[in-house]
Amino acid sequence: MEKDAKVATEDPKVDLFEDDDEFEEFEINEEWEDKEEGKDTTQQWEDDWDDDDVNDDFSLHLKKELESNTEKS
Amino acid sequence: MAAYPGMSMGEAHRRITEYLNRFSDAVSNQDAASLRFLLSLSSNSPFLLSLADALNIFQDSGRLIKHSDHYSQYSDILFNLFRSLQTYRLGNLFDSYQAFEKSANAFIQEFRNWESAWALEALYALAYEIRVLAERADRDLASNGKSPEKLKAAGSFLMKVFGVLAGKGPKRVGALYVTCQLFKVYFKLGTVHLCRSVIRSIETARIFDFEEFPKRDKVTYMYYTGRLEVFNENFPAADNKLSYALTHCNPRREANIRMILKYLIPVKLSIGILPKDWLLEKYNLVEYRDVVQALRRGDLRLLRRALQEHEDRFLRSGVFLVLEKLELQVYQRLVKKIYIIQKQKDPTKAHQVKLEVIVKALKWLEMDMDVDEVECIMSILIYKNLVKGYFAHKSKVVVLSKQDPFPKLNGKPVNS
Repeated sequence: MEKDAKVATEDPKVDLFEDDDEFEEFEINEEWEDKEEGKDTTQQWEDDWDDDDVNDDFSLHLKKELESNTEKS
Repeated sequence: MAAYPGMSMGEAHRRITEYLNRFSDAVSNQDAASLRFLLSLSSNSPFLLSLADALNIFQDSGRLIKHSDHYSQYSDILFNLFRSLQTYRLGNLFDSYQAFEKSANAFIQEFRNWESAWALEALYALAYEIRVLAERADRDLASNGKSPEKLKAAGSFLMKVFGVLAGKGPKRVGALYVTCQLFKVYFKLGTVHLCRSVIRSIETARIFDFEEFPKRDKVTYMYYTGRLEVFNENFPAADNKLSYALTHCNPRREANIRMILKYLIPVKLSIGILPKDWLLEKYNLVEYRDVVQALRRGDLRLLRRALQEHEDRFLRSGVFLVLEKLELQVYQRLVKKIYIIQKQKDPTKAHQVKLEVIVKALKWLEMDMDVDEVECIMSILIYKNLVKGYFAHKSKVVVLSKQDPFPKLNGKPVNS
Protein backbone atom coordinates (compact mmCIF):
# COMPACT_ATOMS: atom_id res chain seq x y z
CA MET A 1 0.00 0.00 0.00
CA GLU A 2 2.69 2.40 1.11
CA LYS A 3 4.51 1.92 -2.14
CA ASP A 4 1.46 2.36 -4.31
CA ALA A 5 0.64 5.62 -2.68
CA LYS A 6 3.92 7.02 -3.86
CA VAL A 7 3.04 6.73 -7.53
CA ALA A 8 1.51 10.05 -8.42
CA THR A 9 -1.52 9.99 -6.20
CA GLU A 10 -2.27 13.62 -5.53
CA ASP A 11 -4.61 15.54 -7.69
CA PRO A 12 -2.98 18.84 -8.45
CA LYS A 13 -4.97 21.80 -9.61
CA VAL A 14 -4.78 22.15 -13.34
CA ASP A 15 -7.04 24.57 -15.13
CA LEU A 16 -9.99 22.81 -16.65
CA PHE A 17 -9.47 22.10 -20.34
CA GLU A 18 -6.10 23.71 -20.40
CA ASP A 19 -2.59 22.52 -20.21
CA ASP A 20 -0.06 25.10 -21.32
CA ASP A 21 2.66 22.53 -21.48
CA GLU A 22 1.25 19.81 -23.66
CA PHE A 23 4.15 17.85 -25.10
CA GLU A 24 4.40 18.08 -28.88
CA GLU A 25 3.69 14.86 -30.74
CA PHE A 26 6.68 13.11 -32.21
CA GLU A 27 6.16 11.70 -35.69
CA ILE A 28 5.36 8.02 -35.56
CA ASN A 29 8.58 7.22 -37.39
CA GLU A 30 10.70 10.03 -36.05
CA GLU A 31 14.24 8.91 -35.42
CA TRP A 32 17.17 10.54 -33.74
CA GLU A 33 20.50 9.81 -32.16
CA ASP A 34 20.76 9.79 -28.41
CA LYS A 35 23.10 12.31 -26.93
CA GLU A 36 26.01 11.17 -24.84
CA GLU A 37 24.71 11.08 -21.32
CA GLY A 38 27.19 12.20 -18.64
CA LYS A 39 28.91 14.75 -20.83
CA ASP A 40 25.75 16.69 -21.42
CA THR A 41 24.88 16.92 -17.77
CA THR A 42 28.07 18.72 -16.78
CA GLN A 43 27.52 21.23 -19.54
CA GLN A 44 24.01 22.00 -18.42
CA TRP A 45 24.18 21.95 -14.63
CA GLU A 46 26.37 23.18 -11.86
CA ASP A 47 26.38 21.51 -8.45
CA ASP A 48 29.51 23.07 -7.02
CA TRP A 49 28.43 26.68 -7.02
CA ASP A 50 28.18 27.20 -3.26
CA ASP A 51 31.68 28.64 -2.92
CA ASP A 52 33.31 30.89 -0.34
CA ASP A 53 33.72 33.81 -2.67
CA VAL A 54 32.51 37.08 -1.21
CA ASN A 55 33.91 39.47 -3.77
CA ASP A 56 30.75 39.83 -5.84
CA ASP A 57 28.77 43.06 -5.70
CA PHE A 58 26.11 41.64 -3.45
CA SER A 59 28.59 40.38 -0.88
CA LEU A 60 30.54 43.62 -0.92
CA HIS A 61 27.37 45.55 -0.23
CA LEU A 62 26.44 43.14 2.51
CA LYS A 63 29.86 43.58 4.06
CA LYS A 64 29.54 47.34 4.01
CA GLU A 65 26.11 47.11 5.55
CA LEU A 66 27.26 44.84 8.37
CA GLU A 67 30.21 47.07 9.11
CA SER A 68 28.21 50.28 8.99
CA ASN A 69 27.47 50.44 12.68
CA THR A 70 28.91 47.32 14.20
CA GLU A 71 30.84 49.70 16.42
CA LYS A 72 27.67 50.31 18.38
CA SER A 73 27.02 46.73 19.34
CA MET B 1 -16.31 24.79 -46.28
CA ALA B 2 -18.68 24.10 -49.17
CA ALA B 3 -18.11 21.19 -51.48
CA TYR B 4 -16.06 21.77 -54.58
CA PRO B 5 -18.37 23.23 -57.12
CA GLY B 6 -18.33 21.27 -60.26
CA MET B 7 -17.42 17.86 -58.98
CA SER B 8 -19.62 15.57 -60.99
CA MET B 9 -21.53 12.69 -59.52
CA GLY B 10 -19.32 10.32 -61.50
CA GLU B 11 -16.17 11.92 -60.17
CA ALA B 12 -17.56 11.71 -56.63
CA HIS B 13 -18.34 8.05 -57.14
CA ARG B 14 -14.83 7.43 -58.47
CA ARG B 15 -13.17 9.06 -55.46
CA ILE B 16 -15.22 7.10 -52.98
CA THR B 17 -14.47 3.82 -54.71
CA GLU B 18 -10.80 4.71 -54.81
CA TYR B 19 -10.80 5.24 -51.06
CA LEU B 20 -12.62 1.98 -50.44
CA ASN B 21 -10.14 0.11 -52.60
CA ARG B 22 -7.18 1.67 -50.91
CA PHE B 23 -8.66 0.77 -47.54
CA SER B 24 -9.26 -2.86 -48.35
CA ASP B 25 -5.86 -3.14 -50.05
CA ALA B 26 -4.16 -1.71 -46.98
CA VAL B 27 -5.89 -4.22 -44.74
CA SER B 28 -5.28 -7.22 -46.96
CA ASN B 29 -1.63 -6.25 -47.52
CA GLN B 30 -1.22 -5.40 -43.85
CA ASP B 31 0.09 -2.03 -44.94
CA ALA B 32 -0.17 -0.05 -41.72
CA ALA B 33 1.35 3.16 -43.07
CA SER B 34 -1.30 3.43 -45.81
CA LEU B 35 -4.02 2.59 -43.37
CA ARG B 36 -2.78 5.25 -41.01
CA PHE B 37 -2.94 7.80 -43.81
CA LEU B 38 -6.52 6.79 -44.61
CA LEU B 39 -7.61 7.26 -40.99
CA SER B 40 -5.82 10.54 -40.33
CA LEU B 41 -8.76 12.90 -40.50
CA SER B 42 -7.01 15.90 -39.01
CA SER B 43 -4.12 15.70 -41.48
CA ASN B 44 -6.37 17.60 -43.87
CA SER B 45 -4.71 15.81 -46.74
CA PRO B 46 -6.09 16.83 -50.15
CA PHE B 47 -7.01 13.20 -50.73
CA LEU B 48 -9.24 13.03 -47.66
CA LEU B 49 -10.68 16.50 -48.18
CA SER B 50 -11.73 15.73 -51.70
CA LEU B 51 -13.15 12.43 -50.49
CA ALA B 52 -15.19 14.38 -47.96
CA ASP B 53 -16.48 16.60 -50.75
CA ALA B 54 -17.31 13.56 -52.81
CA LEU B 55 -19.23 12.07 -49.91
CA ASN B 56 -21.25 15.23 -49.56
CA ILE B 57 -22.19 15.08 -53.25
CA PHE B 58 -22.75 11.37 -53.52
CA GLN B 59 -24.97 10.88 -50.52
CA ASP B 60 -25.47 7.16 -50.79
CA SER B 61 -22.00 5.86 -50.06
CA GLY B 62 -23.48 3.39 -47.59
CA ARG B 63 -24.79 1.34 -50.46
CA LEU B 64 -21.36 1.24 -52.08
CA ILE B 65 -19.93 -0.21 -48.89
CA LYS B 66 -22.62 -2.78 -48.33
CA HIS B 67 -22.77 -4.03 -51.87
CA SER B 68 -19.19 -5.04 -52.16
CA ASP B 69 -17.76 -8.23 -50.73
CA HIS B 70 -14.45 -6.42 -50.23
CA TYR B 71 -15.71 -3.76 -47.90
CA SER B 72 -18.87 -5.06 -46.31
CA GLN B 73 -16.99 -6.77 -43.53
CA TYR B 74 -15.61 -3.38 -42.53
CA SER B 75 -18.90 -1.58 -43.02
CA ASP B 76 -19.12 -0.36 -39.40
CA ILE B 77 -15.68 1.17 -39.64
CA LEU B 78 -16.20 2.67 -43.08
CA PHE B 79 -19.77 3.85 -42.78
CA ASN B 80 -19.07 5.80 -39.62
CA LEU B 81 -15.73 7.04 -40.85
CA PHE B 82 -17.42 8.45 -43.94
CA ARG B 83 -20.03 10.12 -41.82
CA SER B 84 -17.31 11.58 -39.63
CA LEU B 85 -15.44 12.93 -42.65
CA GLN B 86 -18.58 14.43 -44.15
CA THR B 87 -19.54 16.28 -41.00
CA TYR B 88 -15.91 17.25 -40.35
CA ARG B 89 -15.82 18.89 -43.76
CA LEU B 90 -19.01 20.77 -42.96
CA GLY B 91 -17.54 22.00 -39.70
CA ASN B 92 -19.86 19.98 -37.50
CA LEU B 93 -17.29 18.64 -35.08
CA PHE B 94 -19.71 17.26 -32.56
CA ASP B 95 -21.28 14.87 -35.09
CA SER B 96 -17.89 14.20 -36.56
CA TYR B 97 -16.61 13.09 -33.17
CA GLN B 98 -19.63 10.89 -32.51
CA ALA B 99 -19.23 9.09 -35.81
CA PHE B 100 -15.47 8.81 -35.45
CA GLU B 101 -15.82 7.16 -32.07
CA LYS B 102 -18.19 4.58 -33.55
CA SER B 103 -15.80 3.91 -36.39
CA ALA B 104 -12.88 3.61 -33.98
CA ASN B 105 -14.82 1.19 -31.81
CA ALA B 106 -15.52 -0.98 -34.82
CA PHE B 107 -11.84 -0.77 -35.74
CA ILE B 108 -10.65 -2.04 -32.38
CA GLN B 109 -13.07 -4.96 -32.67
CA GLU B 110 -11.23 -5.98 -35.83
CA PHE B 111 -7.85 -5.13 -34.36
CA ARG B 112 -8.51 -7.39 -31.40
CA ASN B 113 -9.02 -10.30 -33.77
CA TRP B 114 -5.83 -9.74 -35.72
CA GLU B 115 -3.21 -11.88 -34.12
CA SER B 116 -0.16 -9.91 -35.08
CA ALA B 117 0.48 -6.29 -34.20
CA TRP B 118 0.79 -5.19 -37.84
CA ALA B 119 -1.89 -2.51 -37.55
CA LEU B 120 -0.42 -0.69 -34.54
CA GLU B 121 0.51 2.35 -36.58
CA ALA B 122 -3.06 2.68 -37.76
CA LEU B 123 -4.28 2.31 -34.21
CA TYR B 124 -1.94 5.12 -33.17
CA ALA B 125 -3.62 7.33 -35.74
CA LEU B 126 -7.03 6.52 -34.27
CA ALA B 127 -5.86 7.24 -30.74
CA TYR B 128 -4.41 10.56 -31.77
CA GLU B 129 -7.33 11.56 -33.98
CA ILE B 130 -9.96 10.82 -31.40
CA ARG B 131 -8.19 13.01 -28.87
CA VAL B 132 -7.74 16.05 -31.07
CA LEU B 133 -11.20 15.69 -32.56
CA ALA B 134 -12.68 15.55 -29.05
CA GLU B 135 -10.80 18.71 -28.10
CA ARG B 136 -12.20 20.54 -31.09
CA ALA B 137 -15.71 19.22 -30.50
CA ASP B 138 -15.49 20.39 -26.88
CA ARG B 139 -14.37 23.83 -27.94
CA ASP B 140 -17.43 24.05 -30.16
CA LEU B 141 -19.72 22.76 -27.44
CA ALA B 142 -18.35 25.24 -24.93
CA SER B 143 -18.70 28.18 -27.30
CA ASN B 144 -22.34 27.19 -27.84
CA GLY B 145 -22.91 27.26 -24.12
CA LYS B 146 -23.11 23.48 -23.83
CA SER B 147 -21.08 21.39 -21.48
CA PRO B 148 -17.95 19.98 -23.11
CA GLU B 149 -17.88 16.24 -22.60
CA LYS B 150 -16.18 14.68 -25.59
CA LEU B 151 -12.63 14.76 -24.30
CA LYS B 152 -13.81 12.79 -21.31
CA ALA B 153 -15.44 10.32 -23.69
CA ALA B 154 -12.21 10.11 -25.68
CA GLY B 155 -10.45 9.26 -22.42
CA SER B 156 -12.81 6.35 -21.86
CA PHE B 157 -12.26 5.15 -25.39
CA LEU B 158 -8.49 5.34 -25.01
CA MET B 159 -8.74 3.34 -21.78
CA LYS B 160 -10.48 0.68 -23.81
CA VAL B 161 -7.69 0.74 -26.38
CA PHE B 162 -5.16 0.50 -23.58
CA GLY B 163 -6.95 -2.61 -22.35
CA VAL B 164 -6.67 -4.18 -25.79
CA LEU B 165 -2.90 -3.58 -25.88
CA ALA B 166 -1.75 -3.92 -22.31
CA GLY B 167 -1.87 -7.71 -22.02
CA LYS B 168 0.79 -10.13 -23.03
CA GLY B 169 1.88 -10.48 -26.60
CA PRO B 170 3.23 -8.43 -29.48
CA LYS B 171 0.67 -5.65 -29.23
CA ARG B 172 1.94 -4.53 -25.86
CA VAL B 173 4.64 -2.42 -27.47
CA GLY B 174 1.85 -0.02 -28.45
CA ALA B 175 0.51 0.45 -24.93
CA LEU B 176 2.84 3.33 -24.11
CA TYR B 177 1.69 5.40 -27.08
CA VAL B 178 -1.89 5.14 -25.90
CA THR B 179 -0.79 5.91 -22.34
CA CYS B 180 0.77 9.14 -23.55
CA GLN B 181 -2.43 10.12 -25.35
CA LEU B 182 -4.31 9.40 -22.12
CA PHE B 183 -1.91 11.61 -20.16
CA LYS B 184 -2.59 14.46 -22.55
CA VAL B 185 -6.32 14.01 -22.05
CA TYR B 186 -6.09 13.79 -18.25
CA PHE B 187 -3.73 16.75 -17.93
CA LYS B 188 -6.04 18.84 -20.03
CA LEU B 189 -9.11 17.79 -18.07
CA GLY B 190 -7.37 18.24 -14.75
CA THR B 191 -8.07 14.65 -13.77
CA VAL B 192 -4.50 13.51 -13.44
CA HIS B 193 -5.31 11.12 -10.62
CA LEU B 194 -6.68 8.90 -13.37
CA CYS B 195 -3.12 8.43 -14.62
CA ARG B 196 -2.41 6.25 -11.64
CA SER B 197 -3.88 2.97 -12.78
CA VAL B 198 -2.24 3.22 -16.20
CA ILE B 199 1.11 4.02 -14.62
CA ARG B 200 0.81 1.05 -12.34
CA SER B 201 0.06 -1.22 -15.23
CA ILE B 202 3.08 0.07 -17.17
CA GLU B 203 5.53 0.08 -14.29
CA THR B 204 4.69 -3.09 -12.47
CA ALA B 205 4.38 -5.39 -15.47
CA ARG B 206 7.08 -7.99 -15.35
CA ILE B 207 6.23 -9.35 -18.75
CA PHE B 208 7.57 -6.35 -20.60
CA ASP B 209 10.66 -4.29 -20.14
CA PHE B 210 10.09 -0.55 -20.24
CA GLU B 211 13.14 -0.04 -22.42
CA GLU B 212 11.50 -2.02 -25.21
CA PHE B 213 8.91 0.68 -25.86
CA PRO B 214 9.62 3.13 -28.69
CA LYS B 215 11.82 6.05 -27.73
CA ARG B 216 9.27 8.73 -28.65
CA ASP B 217 6.80 7.21 -26.19
CA LYS B 218 9.36 6.70 -23.43
CA VAL B 219 10.38 10.36 -23.60
CA THR B 220 6.76 11.56 -23.55
CA TYR B 221 5.91 9.18 -20.72
CA MET B 222 8.86 10.34 -18.61
CA TYR B 223 7.92 13.98 -19.19
CA TYR B 224 4.39 13.48 -17.91
CA THR B 225 5.21 11.18 -15.01
CA GLY B 226 8.02 13.59 -14.10
CA ARG B 227 5.49 16.41 -13.93
CA LEU B 228 3.31 14.28 -11.68
CA GLU B 229 6.25 13.72 -9.37
CA VAL B 230 6.82 17.49 -9.25
CA PHE B 231 3.21 17.98 -8.14
CA ASN B 232 3.74 15.31 -5.50
CA GLU B 233 6.96 17.01 -4.41
CA ASN B 234 8.86 13.81 -4.88
CA PHE B 235 11.94 15.55 -6.19
CA PRO B 236 14.42 12.71 -6.58
CA ALA B 237 11.90 10.77 -8.69
CA ALA B 238 11.01 13.90 -10.64
CA ASP B 239 14.69 14.48 -11.28
CA ASN B 240 15.15 10.94 -12.60
CA LYS B 241 12.19 11.02 -14.91
CA LEU B 242 12.63 14.50 -16.30
CA SER B 243 16.37 13.96 -16.73
CA TYR B 244 15.61 10.82 -18.69
CA ALA B 245 13.24 12.79 -20.92
CA LEU B 246 15.86 15.52 -21.39
CA THR B 247 18.65 13.14 -22.30
CA HIS B 248 16.61 11.10 -24.75
CA CYS B 249 14.48 13.79 -26.36
CA ASN B 250 15.14 14.57 -30.00
CA PRO B 251 17.54 17.54 -29.75
CA ARG B 252 15.77 19.22 -32.65
CA ARG B 253 12.50 19.28 -30.70
CA GLU B 254 13.31 22.50 -28.92
CA ALA B 255 9.77 23.19 -27.76
CA ASN B 256 9.68 19.84 -26.00
CA ILE B 257 13.10 20.33 -24.46
CA ARG B 258 11.95 23.69 -23.18
CA MET B 259 8.91 22.10 -21.57
CA ILE B 260 11.03 19.43 -19.89
CA LEU B 261 13.38 22.10 -18.54
CA LYS B 262 10.51 24.21 -17.32
CA TYR B 263 9.83 21.49 -14.75
CA LEU B 264 13.31 20.08 -14.35
CA ILE B 265 14.90 23.40 -13.40
CA PRO B 266 12.80 23.94 -10.23
CA VAL B 267 13.42 20.30 -9.33
CA LYS B 268 17.19 20.71 -9.72
CA LEU B 269 17.13 23.96 -7.75
CA SER B 270 15.31 22.26 -4.91
CA ILE B 271 18.12 19.72 -4.61
CA GLY B 272 20.80 22.39 -4.79
CA ILE B 273 21.78 22.16 -8.45
CA LEU B 274 21.79 25.24 -10.69
CA PRO B 275 21.23 25.42 -14.44
CA LYS B 276 23.99 27.05 -16.47
CA ASP B 277 23.06 30.46 -17.77
CA TRP B 278 23.23 29.46 -21.45
CA LEU B 279 20.53 26.86 -20.83
CA LEU B 280 18.11 29.53 -19.64
CA GLU B 281 19.04 31.75 -22.59
CA LYS B 282 18.83 29.10 -25.24
CA TYR B 283 15.43 27.81 -24.21
CA ASN B 284 14.04 31.20 -23.26
CA LEU B 285 13.46 30.33 -19.63
CA VAL B 286 14.67 33.66 -18.36
CA GLU B 287 11.98 33.72 -15.67
CA TYR B 288 14.32 31.46 -13.70
CA ARG B 289 17.34 33.71 -14.03
CA ASP B 290 16.66 35.87 -10.97
CA VAL B 291 15.72 32.83 -8.91
CA VAL B 292 19.10 31.30 -9.70
CA GLN B 293 20.85 34.58 -8.99
CA ALA B 294 19.05 34.84 -5.64
CA LEU B 295 20.33 31.40 -4.66
CA ARG B 296 23.86 32.22 -5.67
CA ARG B 297 23.90 35.45 -3.70
CA GLY B 298 21.71 34.61 -0.74
CA ASP B 299 19.51 37.46 -1.88
CA LEU B 300 16.11 37.01 -0.27
CA ARG B 301 14.80 40.23 -1.70
CA LEU B 302 15.60 39.12 -5.24
CA LEU B 303 13.91 35.76 -4.67
CA ARG B 304 10.73 37.44 -3.49
CA ARG B 305 10.75 39.84 -6.41
CA ALA B 306 11.31 37.07 -8.91
CA LEU B 307 8.48 35.01 -7.47
CA GLN B 308 6.20 38.00 -7.50
CA GLU B 309 7.08 39.07 -10.99
CA HIS B 310 6.43 35.66 -12.51
CA GLU B 311 3.78 34.51 -10.07
CA ASP B 312 1.13 33.81 -12.72
CA ARG B 313 3.46 31.76 -14.84
CA PHE B 314 4.78 29.74 -11.90
CA LEU B 315 1.31 29.15 -10.52
CA ARG B 316 0.01 27.98 -13.89
CA SER B 317 2.72 25.42 -14.32
CA GLY B 318 2.39 24.38 -10.68
CA VAL B 319 6.00 25.05 -9.67
CA PHE B 320 5.32 28.08 -7.49
CA LEU B 321 5.33 26.14 -4.22
CA VAL B 322 8.52 24.37 -5.22
CA LEU B 323 10.22 27.69 -5.84
CA GLU B 324 8.83 29.25 -2.68
CA LYS B 325 10.55 26.56 -0.66
CA LEU B 326 13.91 27.65 -2.05
CA GLU B 327 13.74 30.43 0.49
CA LEU B 328 15.41 28.24 3.12
CA GLN B 329 18.36 27.61 0.83
CA VAL B 330 18.65 31.35 0.22
CA TYR B 331 18.67 31.97 3.98
CA GLN B 332 21.39 29.37 4.30
CA ARG B 333 23.45 31.10 1.66
CA LEU B 334 23.00 34.50 3.29
CA VAL B 335 24.08 33.26 6.71
CA LYS B 336 27.03 31.56 5.09
CA LYS B 337 28.05 34.84 3.47
CA ILE B 338 27.80 36.61 6.80
CA TYR B 339 29.95 33.89 8.32
CA ILE B 340 32.61 34.21 5.62
CA ILE B 341 32.68 37.97 5.93
CA GLN B 342 33.14 37.64 9.68
CA LYS B 343 35.85 35.08 9.14
CA GLN B 344 37.83 37.46 6.96
CA LYS B 345 37.70 40.01 9.71
CA ASP B 346 38.31 37.82 12.75
CA PRO B 347 38.66 34.08 12.17
CA THR B 348 38.52 33.25 15.86
CA LYS B 349 35.03 34.63 16.42
CA ALA B 350 33.53 33.87 13.03
CA HIS B 351 31.54 30.84 14.14
CA GLN B 352 29.52 32.98 16.51
CA VAL B 353 26.84 34.77 14.55
CA LYS B 354 24.77 37.28 16.43
CA LEU B 355 21.10 37.15 15.56
CA GLU B 356 21.20 40.92 15.48
CA VAL B 357 23.65 40.82 12.62
CA ILE B 358 21.26 38.67 10.64
CA VAL B 359 18.42 41.04 11.49
CA LYS B 360 20.51 43.86 10.10
CA ALA B 361 21.29 42.00 6.90
CA LEU B 362 17.62 41.26 6.45
CA LYS B 363 16.68 44.85 7.05
CA TRP B 364 19.07 45.83 4.30
CA LEU B 365 17.16 43.35 2.11
CA GLU B 366 13.92 45.10 3.07
CA MET B 367 12.72 42.31 5.31
CA ASP B 368 11.62 43.55 8.67
CA MET B 369 12.13 40.84 11.24
CA ASP B 370 12.93 41.02 14.89
CA VAL B 371 15.40 38.87 16.77
CA ASP B 372 12.74 36.34 17.77
CA GLU B 373 11.64 35.80 14.22
CA VAL B 374 15.19 35.37 13.06
CA GLU B 375 15.77 32.89 15.87
CA CYS B 376 12.80 30.96 14.58
CA ILE B 377 14.21 30.91 11.04
CA MET B 378 17.61 29.81 12.31
CA SER B 379 16.11 26.97 14.29
CA ILE B 380 14.33 25.78 11.15
CA LEU B 381 17.64 25.90 9.25
CA ILE B 382 19.26 23.85 12.01
CA TYR B 383 16.35 21.42 12.12
CA LYS B 384 16.51 20.94 8.35
CA ASN B 385 20.25 20.42 8.52
CA LEU B 386 20.99 23.44 6.38
CA VAL B 387 22.98 24.85 9.27
CA LYS B 388 24.93 22.94 11.90
CA GLY B 389 25.12 24.67 15.23
CA TYR B 390 23.24 25.59 18.38
CA PHE B 391 21.82 28.65 20.13
CA ALA B 392 23.33 30.45 22.99
CA HIS B 393 19.97 31.80 24.08
CA LYS B 394 20.94 34.42 26.57
CA SER B 395 23.39 36.14 24.31
CA LYS B 396 21.20 35.68 21.24
CA VAL B 397 23.97 34.08 19.26
CA VAL B 398 24.08 31.12 16.92
CA VAL B 399 27.19 29.10 17.51
CA LEU B 400 28.10 27.39 14.26
CA SER B 401 29.69 23.99 14.19
CA LYS B 402 33.37 24.20 13.31
CA GLN B 403 33.00 21.33 10.94
CA ASP B 404 30.89 21.81 7.83
CA PRO B 405 28.57 24.44 9.32
CA PHE B 406 26.61 24.73 6.06
CA PRO B 407 26.04 21.21 4.72
CA LYS B 408 25.44 21.03 0.98
CA LEU B 409 22.41 19.27 -0.38
CA ASN B 410 24.46 17.24 -2.85
CA GLY B 411 21.51 16.35 -4.99
CA LYS B 412 19.19 15.49 -2.13
CA PRO B 413 16.11 17.46 -1.17
CA VAL B 414 15.94 19.56 1.98
CA ASN B 415 14.76 17.43 4.91
CA SER B 416 11.05 17.73 5.42
